[in-house]
Amino acid sequence: MASQIHVNLSPAELAYLHASLSLTPPIRPDGRSPDQYRPLSAETGILPGTNGSARICFADGTEAIVGVKAEVEKTGRRWDDDTIFLEGGGDDEEGGDKEKGSTQQGGNKEWVELTVEIPGQRDDDSATVFLAQMLSEALLADGGFVERLKINRGWHWKLYLDILLISPPLSYPLPLLSLTTHLALLSTRLPRLKSEGDEDPFFDDDWAAAPYLYPRDKKARPPVTLLVMAVGNNIIFDPAKEELAVADVVLAVSVADVADRKGKGVEDEDMDVDGRKLKLLSIRTVDPPSRLTPPGVPNASNTAYGHASAGATQQKMPEARAVESEAVEGVWKAPRGGAKLAVMGALVQKVLQKGGVADEVLDALEAVDLS
Amino acid sequence: MTDRRRINGPAGTTIPPIFEDTSNKEDANSVKGRTRAPDAVRKMFLRTGVTPTASGSAYLEYESSAKSGVSGIKLSCTVHGPRSLPRSSPFSPHIVLSTHVKYAPFATKQRRGYLRDPSERDLGTHLETALRGAIIADRWPKSGVDIIISVIEGDQDRASSGPQSDETWDMMNVLSGCITVASAALADAGIDCVDTVAGGVAALVQGPSEDTPPSVVVDPIPSEHERILGACCIAYLPTRDEVTNLWFKGDLPASEMDLYTKLVENGILASASASKVLVDCLKDALA
Amino acid sequence: MPLDTSTYSLALLRVDGRRWNELRRLHAQIRTQAAADGSSYLEMGHTKVMCVVTGPSEPGPRRGGGIGGGAGGQSKDAEVVVNIVIAGFSSVDRKRRGRGDKRTQEMQSTVANALAASLHTHLFPHSQINVSLHVLSQDGSLLAALINAATLACVDAGIPMTDYVAACTAGSTSTYAANDESADPLLDLNHQEEQELPSLTVATLGDSDRVVVLVCESRVQISRLEGMLAVGVDGCKQVRELLDRVVREKGQRMILEGTVEKGTGLNDLD
Repeated sequence: MASQIHVNLSPAELAYLHASLSLTPPIRPDGRSPDQYRPLSAETGILPGTNGSARICFADGTEAIVGVKAEVEKTGRRWDDDTIFLEGGGDDEEGGDKEKGSTQQGGNKEWVELTVEIPGQRDDDSATVFLAQMLSEALLADGGFVERLKINRGWHWKLYLDILLISPPLSYPLPLLSLTTHLALLSTRLPRLKSEGDEDPFFDDDWAAAPYLYPRDKKARPPVTLLVMAVGNNIIFDPAKEELAVADVVLAVSVADVADRKGKGVEDEDMDVDGRKLKLLSIRTVDPPSRLTPPGVPNASNTAYGHASAGATQQKMPEARAVESEAVEGVWKAPRGGAKLAVMGALVQKVLQKGGVADEVLDALEAVDLS
Repeated sequence: MTDRRRINGPAGTTIPPIFEDTSNKEDANSVKGRTRAPDAVRKMFLRTGVTPTASGSAYLEYESSAKSGVSGIKLSCTVHGPRSLPRSSPFSPHIVLSTHVKYAPFATKQRRGYLRDPSERDLGTHLETALRGAIIADRWPKSGVDIIISVIEGDQDRASSGPQSDETWDMMNVLSGCITVASAALADAGIDCVDTVAGGVAALVQGPSEDTPPSVVVDPIPSEHERILGACCIAYLPTRDEVTNLWFKGDLPASEMDLYTKLVENGILASASASKVLVDCLKDALA
Repeated sequence: MPLDTSTYSLALLRVDGRRWNELRRLHAQIRTQAAADGSSYLEMGHTKVMCVVTGPSEPGPRRGGGIGGGAGGQSKDAEVVVNIVIAGFSSVDRKRRGRGDKRTQEMQSTVANALAASLHTHLFPHSQINVSLHVLSQDGSLLAALINAATLACVDAGIPMTDYVAACTAGSTSTYAANDESADPLLDLNHQEEQELPSLTVATLGDSDRVVVLVCESRVQISRLEGMLAVGVDGCKQVRELLDRVVREKGQRMILEGTVEKGTGLNDLD
């Protein structure tokens, strides 16, 4: 979780940072505009031993590598495939109906296994698990994805995504890991199937003939997860560690392109050529580390200034509490309580906006040369 | 990691047998749909102080649905603390919150192991996010509090053989229960909070036929609906009108932002009604 | 699939076409990452390793695996903490190794010991040097590649050290069971050879013949060991030259680009 990335900032520094980020327009410590991503360099297909791989370096030096490996696995017989009813035999019509429902379902979420490695953290650490769950949630929310892994009724691909953060975790690594995963999936190819129907699958040896998991001609793209935070009235994208330390609310929003798929409740109306239609896949609240920052002490209650003696404050406990909850200008206090609904709504709205940051990020990723 | 301390069941998966219910087929079909109004939550039972040894505890149970074989949620929460941190841990200006959510092995149709699996850890993180906003953490420097929730019965439809993806929607229901019950237990333990935080779930469901537009319902039970297109779980502070945790999952086109807004509003509605139960329960405990 | 060593005696060529005393292509880069204090990337054949060094810095919360310090931040020497992550996709079949994997732990302590012996850890009391190694692809000689990458990253981090720790593997042309008296030693084994043939990993300190690491986990006749060791040490010297060239080239480029001040040492650089 973000709250575990410690920043050693004093309450005074935090107050200053908070104040400058609350200005209109906000002034970010690294001089970016509020919706500007850190510049990055990316390459794909770096590891010939994998089905797909990618590496991204952010300008601040954080780096991640994702490798995708696929293995053929036997599809376990599920209840809905051709369940043999023990009694009564089951009437055909209902069974057939059920089957239709299940083919729509297509895949199983267990066909995708995603692991995140962050140096210096245990892999069953709740923060790492949270990251992995968030990334796989976005991937699986797009129901069409697991469908692609189906080979035939008896077999499927099992996809292993291994996400490595190479650099020390300087900032909350979610945007980096999500973008790298996106590219790795885009470059993923699965061997071409030569067998037909439900026979045991065998594949073409020619790697050059292997089709991409996300076909190039279709518009389908893997999801991306964006990290966005709010300070005061400002919405800031891709926050750095220091910025997260004063955030009021942090959301991780996963979006993807609407693919040209039919019968998914999305009527593809006039799809203009370059207009992208986004869809929302998941939103999670990330616990902002700001809640764990040390509070500042206002001069009024600072005994070092002689304004109030320690004994006096202790005697008047109720009053002391009243002071505690009162905000003093320029004195840092960790945010308490949650976020207003309107703020959260604005964050999501801003992400999904046409021509907004999500669009920009997806455009940038499309421009990456996929070797 | 394998569990080496206990004798575990066979590792291979088995499919629980599902028997066809021949006795009252018509009845079973007639209650397939949702019997509650779209904006009505299930009845729930909440009581604090059930575990005498813990500093605070609470028990929450949801009404089981009208259909036979569909179980409700049963959750038990204990709060230990505030207590001093171990000497080895670094200084903290705030209370250190640790949350554990664990399903009992028998809580769901698929048996759960004794070690926490990723989804349980994930639930724990969500719960932590939801509670951290509510607790006034700086009143207990250098101390820690443990919140432990056992899911005695998860929201799983045992009779029908619903597709496995239902599990994710069940997780949301369990999380909303966890938030409510943990909030009650925190109050029972006497830990200062800005407000009682309560959880609620709303879902976007497919209508009975493909043509009907999807509708928004609160407190969904996956087996009562044809298909769930998306759902969100919300932790809500009613008196401050603030949200501490929002978890949305689904497949929603960006053009339909109002559907999303409606979903969140309904989630808050559900949290508000859970909050009523919570407040009543706490008042009862005082009386 | 058993390795066919019978053809070796005919053409004196190994499965991948090398002669007995040839190294695989060694390609290395240093300063691959801006955020770290020191970083490197090393390929030995198809074995690909990345290394990131942070430190010397104030020790963080205690974690296991430290060598050379003992009581964490209290010691007079810097503690070298090595952390190896073997990516799930690194081998042909995906195999996930947990953090607690014993083979990984052993490699961690071997690398930590080797570095602690050659770094001037006494210059940094109460501190910690964090070395994190990522294995991206493995094809034999993994430990040697890890040691070489760690050395390069430490050079990049500017941690004073006595000399390069250069490592390489050596093996023998026939299996232990064959008990072939005329078996020749081999240099730098790949994965296939490592599976079948007896092998050892040796690391030496710089140009000298001083051995820092010697790991032999396979059965081998004692008569063959000396030959293997001699070839291994010779290989280490070749590796040292290659590592040295990488460092010098990067240094020269940095001076030409003006990244660093032109010092008195420029004439020594070529």
